[in-house]
Amino acid sequence: MNVTMERKVLSENDRIAAELREQFRTHGIFALNLISSPGSGKTALLERTLAAFDSSKRVAVLTGDIQTDADAQRLARYGFPVRQITTAGACHLDARMVQRALEGWDLAQLDLLFIENVGNLVCPTSYDLGEALKVVVLSVTEGDEKPLKYPGIFFKSKLMVLNKIDLLPYVPFDIEKAIANARSIQPEIDIIRTSCTTDEGLKDWLAWLTLRAA
Amino acid sequence: MHEMGIANSILDAVRKEMAPYPGARPVKVTVRIGTMAGVDPDSLTFCFQALVSGTEFEPMELAVETAPADELELGSLELEEPS
Repeated sequence: MNVTMERKVLSENDRIAAELREQFRTHGIFALNLISSPGSGKTALLERTLAAFDSSKRVAVLTGDIQTDADAQRLARYGFPVRQITTAGACHLDARMVQRALEGWDLAQLDLLFIENVGNLVCPTSYDLGEALKVVVLSVTEGDEKPLKYPGIFFKSKLMVLNKIDLLPYVPFDIEKAIANARSIQPEIDIIRTSCTTDEGLKDWLAWLTLRAA
Repeated sequence: MHEMGIANSILDAVRKEMAPYPGARPVKVTVRIGTMAGVDPDSLTFCFQALVSGTEFEPMELAVETAPADELELGSLELEEPS
C-alpha cells in the first residue's frame, strides 16, 4: 500500500517559522537572516551597522554560534538588545531556537531584527526562521566561484554583500566574475560592495535596509 | 551536517503517517530534493540508515527523487500491511 504524504520534510520547522513571521508582521518588524561562511564578516557588518544607528533606533540582534558568546559581547557594546544563540554543535539555526531566543523581549519595541546565522553556507539554507528575507555575505578573500559551489543560498537570497573589498588589491578575486556567477544562480539578487574597515559601501547597505524595510 | 536533522524529520513524519495503520510496516519512503535545497542525497541516505538501524523500522528504504529549485518534500510512503 502506498500513502501519499505531500508535505514538506521540515514541516515542523516551517510551522514555527510561520508563527514567527506572523509575529514579525503583527509588530511591524523587518527581520533578516544573515548567512555566510565563517569569517566573511557578518559580525563586523553588524557592528558597523549598529554603530551607524542613532540610539533611538528600534533594532535588535540574535547571533548564532556553535560555542561562545563572543559575538554577542562584540555587538552588545552598541547599546541595542543582543542575544546569543549557542547551538552546541548544530551547524545552523532553526525556527525553534529563534522562538526561544525571543522569549521575554517586547517585540512591540522593535522595528528591525538581524538574525546572524551560524557561519555555514549549506545547512542554514534549509531552515526558514520566519525572516522577511535572507542576505548572503561573501568576502573577497574566499573565491569568486562560491556562488556556483554553494548555489542554494545564493538562489534563496535577496542580497549578496561582497565584503572586505578593501582587500581586493591583494587577492586574486574577480569581483565581476563573482557577480556574474551569483546572477547566473539568482538573476534578481541585489549586490552591495562593502568594507567594514574603511566603511566603503556602508551607506549603500543602510539605504538598502531602509528601502527593503519600507 | 544538517542531513541528520533532516533524516530525523523524515522519520518523525513516517511515524505520524503510520498512526492510522496499526501493525503495518514501512518499506520505503520517498523524498523529493531540489538541486538548490542544499541537501546531499548520499549523506541523507547514510544518516537515514544510521537512524533506522536497530529500530523497529529496519529494514526501510529511503528513495530520493530529484526535484526543481529548493523543494524538500515528502512524496509517498510504502507500507506492508499485516498479513
